[in-house]
Amino acid sequence: MQHSTAPDPTARISIRGLSKFYKDYLALDRIDLDIRKGEKVVVLGPSGSGKSTFIRCLNRIEPHDSGVLMIDGRVIDDRTDLAALRGAVGMVFQNYNLFPHLSVLDNCTLAPRLVRGIAKADAEATARRYLSQVGIAEQAGKFPIQLSGGQQQRVAIARALCMSPEIILFDEPTAALDPESISGIVGIMRDLAEQGITTICVTHEMGFARHIADRIVFMDRGAVLEIAPPEEFFTAPRTDRAQAFLAQMIRH
Amino acid sequence: MPSRSLPASDRILRHILALALFALAIAVPGARAQAEDLPGFVHDGQLTLCTNPTLPPMTFVDGSDTDALAGMDIDLARRLAAYWHVTLVPQTMDFEGLFPSLSAQRCGMVISGVLRQAGRLRNYDAVPYLDSGVVVVARVGTPKLREMADLSGQTVAVQSGTSYAAQIERENDRLRAAGRPPILLQQYPTEDQVVQQVLIGRVHAFVSQDVELYYRQKQLGGKVTIILAPDYPDFHQFAVYIRKNAHDDALLQKAIDTLTRQGEIAAMAKQWGISGDHQSVFTEGKAPSRFDVATFFGALFSAAFLKGAALTLVIAVLSHLTAIVISIPMAMKLNGRDSIIKRLLGFYVAIFRGAPTLLQLLFIWNALPQFFPIFREGWFTPFLATWLSLSINESAYQVEINRAALRAVDPGQVLAADALGMTTAQTYRHVIFPQALRIALPPTINEFISLLKTTSLASVISLQELLAVTQIQVARTFQFTEYYAAALVYYLAMVFFFLFLQKRIERRFVWADRNKASADAA
Ligand SMILES: Nc1ncnc2c1ncn2[C@@H]1O[C@H](COP(=O)(O)OP(=O)(O)OP(=O)(O)O)[C@@H](O)[C@H]1O
Ligand SMILES: [Mg+2]
Repeated sequence: MQHSTAPDPTARISIRGLSKFYKDYLALDRIDLDIRKGEKVVVLGPSGSGKSTFIRCLNRIEPHDSGVLMIDGRVIDDRTDLAALRGAVGMVFQNYNLFPHLSVLDNCTLAPRLVRGIAKADAEATARRYLSQVGIAEQAGKFPIQLSGGQQQRVAIARALCMSPEIILFDEPTAALDPESISGIVGIMRDLAEQGITTICVTHEMGFARHIADRIVFMDRGAVLEIAPPEEFFTAPRTDRAQAFLAQMIRH
Repeated sequence: MPSRSLPASDRILRHILALALFALAIAVPGARAQAEDLPGFVHDGQLTLCTNPTLPPMTFVDGSDTDALAGMDIDLARRLAAYWHVTLVPQTMDFEGLFPSLSAQRCGMVISGVLRQAGRLRNYDAVPYLDSGVVVVARVGTPKLREMADLSGQTVAVQSGTSYAAQIERENDRLRAAGRPPILLQQYPTEDQVVQQVLIGRVHAFVSQDVELYYRQKQLGGKVTIILAPDYPDFHQFAVYIRKNAHDDALLQKAIDTLTRQGEIAAMAKQWGISGDHQSVFTEGKAPSRFDVATFFGALFSAAFLKGAALTLVIAVLSHLTAIVISIPMAMKLNGRDSIIKRLLGFYVAIFRGAPTLLQLLFIWNALPQFFPIFREGWFTPFLATWLSLSINESAYQVEINRAALRAVDPGQVLAADALGMTTAQTYRHVIFPQALRIALPPTINEFISLLKTTSLASVISLQELLAVTQIQVARTFQFTEYYAAALVYYLAMVFFFLFLQKRIERRFVWADRNKASADAA
């Protein structure tokens, strides 16, 4: 919509005509989007609109069917080295998805050691640094089941950070949390953005969307309908569906 | 007369005699067989024998070492081997396994107290070597009978696989025709169990051969008596059985004739206390005590029981490990997308869960060689056959445990591992398997315990596992309680060890339980 047809190799992420099918069902419909280095993007949209599918395409956990996805000037397709891609693009889930059989520390060191071949001591030093950055250094020896939801999500963020990603994808990271934990996680996400990590976040958390996001991407039925700075999107949504969505949000 | 069993000094004498006979066979040119005179069932300098050593004094295990075969039949087999200048290779197995093994060319001949009977001659050649007679035996004090028909309405026990059952059926046809109730038949896998049914009063009488009773009288003296000695033409002679072959039959006949003429067979019979005098049987002897502690401990710490238990344990562990290894990829495939392989696997699981384990063992041991001759060669031992058969069988059960365990792992785990750049193999190894193991462990240990006991079925294909050893010892001594108790101790010890192991492993799963994990940390 707003872009020329050629992808922009200077953008951190450049997306052109990205589409995805589940069998016959069109889950993503020709998405165009450029994201700058260090940008904080929030993806909004009703349930089933394709938000999760969209961000999963960015680290190729879901391969797209057509269109172009470019990260740091490199085209992402079936020839891409997945280990390298996923090192560069981290992901945090709504349900944390920590490995329950591993301690907090081992959760953070497993992938660096297996995928990157980092020595145990180095991986643990890095893990402890990130665990203290997210404020749970003292929980390193515990198992996930012993932690609160908020603490678990902090571990999940630390685990993603241990791969030193340039981009982190958040899929509703606060949806399962109580308000106090939410503000903690939101604080961490803001810090990450300040460190220059590009953040793409699917969330219904209006605090983050309004005050921290650089841009809002509004999706419906697999398509991107609006891309706008938060004040503009929240005060003057251009499409009827965005207006309806916002009305719904406020009522709840 | 020969109605006493042999004292130890006689036993030594017997061995010396056997050695002397052997030396004689080599030394005397007349007894020598020319190479071209060798029967076809003798290969590579070996004469293979199938026997079920639970029938003293014909074929049994003398002493607590299960490899030490003894008896009239064994001596005869050794003598035949010497006659042909070859080595005797005996193989022991359940009675029901004898003829299938002969057909499968697993052995060259069967000598196992088997009677020469018209029915068997259709499929095999048989050369008689010893006269015998049928006896019907009951507890002391039971009135004597005039004919078999007098057993009408009574329960009678026989060893299964023997032809007494068919004989009794023929009597029953006559009884039914005369409008009288038939003889009720119970069949047991070993002769000693048959006798035991009479001793404990479950059946009225048992049917056996007179020669066996001569041997058993020490154990049975004063407890049982012969109530009838029916004259069945089909039960007059013990015979050596071979596969049908006129040439081999003639050579075997010649060998037996020679030994008979030289008086060697009569000497063997005498040595084993076999004689045709019914009346002298059971006039003396004392009843065995109820529970002989010394026998029990003797059995418990005997080399035979230790070996049997070790074999049971090894075959169960090996089979289950193999089953686990093959059932993991099977479970992954079965949990995956629909494909031809998946459907074939479903078929495999259905077949091997559906068919009785005993049938699978018998099939692999006795039927497989008919399709693939390679399986009748020496390398395919009862151990290998049991391993193969139990692994396949167990994998069909284990696969369901694995499937359920793998499915129970949250798909979010794979997603997280994927997002961290882990490969599929790394994800299975470090994320899925450790979590699936916790779910699979208790049912797997359960399966293992059940498998440990299933191994006892392998005695039908002659694997000398714990229960086979027990039965052989019982057949020799008739001390049921002591030997059964010793076997029980071994089985329980093994089961308890694995239950203990399960508890130890489960301690490593604290991560799954919030309270335990916290208690552990504190
Ligand atoms: N693996 C799949 N197979 C088939 N259809 C799928 C699959 N994953 C998602 N879909 C469908 O694609 C559409 C978009 O799903 P997606 O999870 O991306 O929505 P969402 O915007 O994240 O919704 P929510 O806010 O509820 O998380 C939905 O209709 C969903 O049913
Ligand atoms: Mg979603």
